[in-house]
Amino acid sequence: MLVTGIKSKPVYAPLQADTRGRYHLMVGMGVGAAPLLRVIAEMRSAAAHSLKHTRVLYVPDSGGSEGGGTGGGAGIDEFRSAAVGEVRVFEGTPALLEKFRATLSESSMGTRLYVAGPESFIGLVMKIALEFNLNKDEIRAEECGTLARRIYCIHCRATTEQVRTNIVRCVGCARWLLVRDHYSRRLAAYMGVMVDAEAPGELPPVKEVFL
Amino acid sequence: MSDEQTVAVEVVGIEQVTPLIKHFKLAPVGGGTLPVFSGGSHIIVVMRGADRVHKNPYSLLGSPSELDTYEIGVRRMEESRGGSHFMHDQVVVGSRLEIAHPINLFGLDKIARKHVLIAGGIGITPFLAQLEDLHGGGVPYELHYSVRSHEHAAFLTRLHRREGERLHMYYDSEGQMIPFETLLANQPLGTHVYVCGPAGMIKHVIATAQSCGWPDSHIHWEQFSAPPVGDAFEVFLARSQLSVHVPPDQSLLESIEAAGVEVPYLCRGGVCGFCHTRVLELDGTLVHNDHFLSDADKAKGKSIMPCVSRAQCKRLVLDL
Repeated sequence: MLVTGIKSKPVYAPLQADTRGRYHLMVGMGVGAAPLLRVIAEMRSAAAHSLKHTRVLYVPDSGGSEGGGTGGGAGIDEFRSAAVGEVRVFEGTPALLEKFRATLSESSMGTRLYVAGPESFIGLVMKIALEFNLNKDEIRAEECGTLARRIYCIHCRATTEQVRTNIVRCVGCARWLLVRDHYSRRLAAYMGVMVDAEAPGELPPVKEVFL
Repeated sequence: MSDEQTVAVEVVGIEQVTPLIKHFKLAPVGGGTLPVFSGGSHIIVVMRGADRVHKNPYSLLGSPSELDTYEIGVRRMEESRGGSHFMHDQVVVGSRLEIAHPINLFGLDKIARKHVLIAGGIGITPFLAQLEDLHGGGVPYELHYSVRSHEHAAFLTRLHRREGERLHMYYDSEGQMIPFETLLANQPLGTHVYVCGPAGMIKHVIATAQSCGWPDSHIHWEQFSAPPVGDAFEVFLARSQLSVHVPPDQSLLESIEAAGVEVPYLCRGGVCGFCHTRVLELDGTLVHNDHFLSDADKAKGKSIMPCVSRAQCKRLVLDL
């Protein structure tokens, strides 16, 4: 029942250093540390002078499951020993996003953004980047960790977090929502549409699909 | 564009604004209003001279909200092939011309957080209309305008009055240069830069922005090349089964049109890519003068922009 082939579904690619940029801002969560460290290593060999213009904002796994596995603790130590311009570690995503927004507001043209982590985290980062008119050629994102989605209810406009199933009960209006592949960059969420509007109470099998 | 899509206009005002630039006001013949346009648009002006038809692109410099007249600025080119001299020497108040509908190949980015406009000489014209779009828009902008000397600073009174401190003037005669590196190294995220002026200036702005780390999607430029003169050559149009002679001072596009074959175009200045034509046979080299084809495509020699490009060859066959 999950409609596929929807064009708005974001596409990600493995991170690569873009040494045409003058400043590099890296934002990661959980196992997202690994791709960011890979980019740092790439810079060290290709354009070592870029490292001092590189800043890292990182949030380790919060509560164990959100980041989709381990790797947070080791990531922090590796970032700290990577000799980049600045490393900031946050306790949770909201604090990181607040600092990210403040960082963008004082950043100059010539900045490249690298994002790595679970898709829902990437979406929240991209939403802010969009407000600053960062274009595709300034942003790279690599998805790693859980595929759990943020679901925007098209009926009551509430957003249900950490959705792993094809059908979910809306936190706002308690309707059963079918999770679609339609994605809004502005809302950083996939669309959820009432699944049993025609025949109330008749639900297709609920399956865990976004792991 | 075919001739049916042109609008007949009458010249209702001419002002010599600098020793080299004339400012023309064009109104629709028979009254009414002209087509809507956005800042950065250009029109093609069709000039029917005694021995030749000239079709040149000129940026619209008036306010997009005033459609009773269009305004253009025409610089007298030293090595004119005739178009700018025709406008300067033949056209008087009351003259009739034909124009094509406006096309915008140099629009402002609608979601930019800041605009940096850089003009050199006659390159100020598209910005004059863009500035009208920017007034009251709440998005910060600045204009950097470089001219040879005070007497060459076209439209300065208008700019001073409307732009105030957002206008930064640079006079070559006083050794003043736009500080490109400082300017482009210190712009907030979400800034877009736009440049229109001499080829060297455009090249320099693009290179400086790139070296400051700007991505291409934030760099905008417009330069209409006049078709350069070159050696005469022959071209054969395969589909029309016609041989056409291209004289030294006429462009390939103009020669093909004079032979009665229509080629779609928008800018006639090597920018838009609309007149892209396939090369079927060639026993020499193409002289690419456009800004549209990539270097790789130019090297392949399989396509040509007949508006500004030519050939040095004995035989050229085009898919027309």
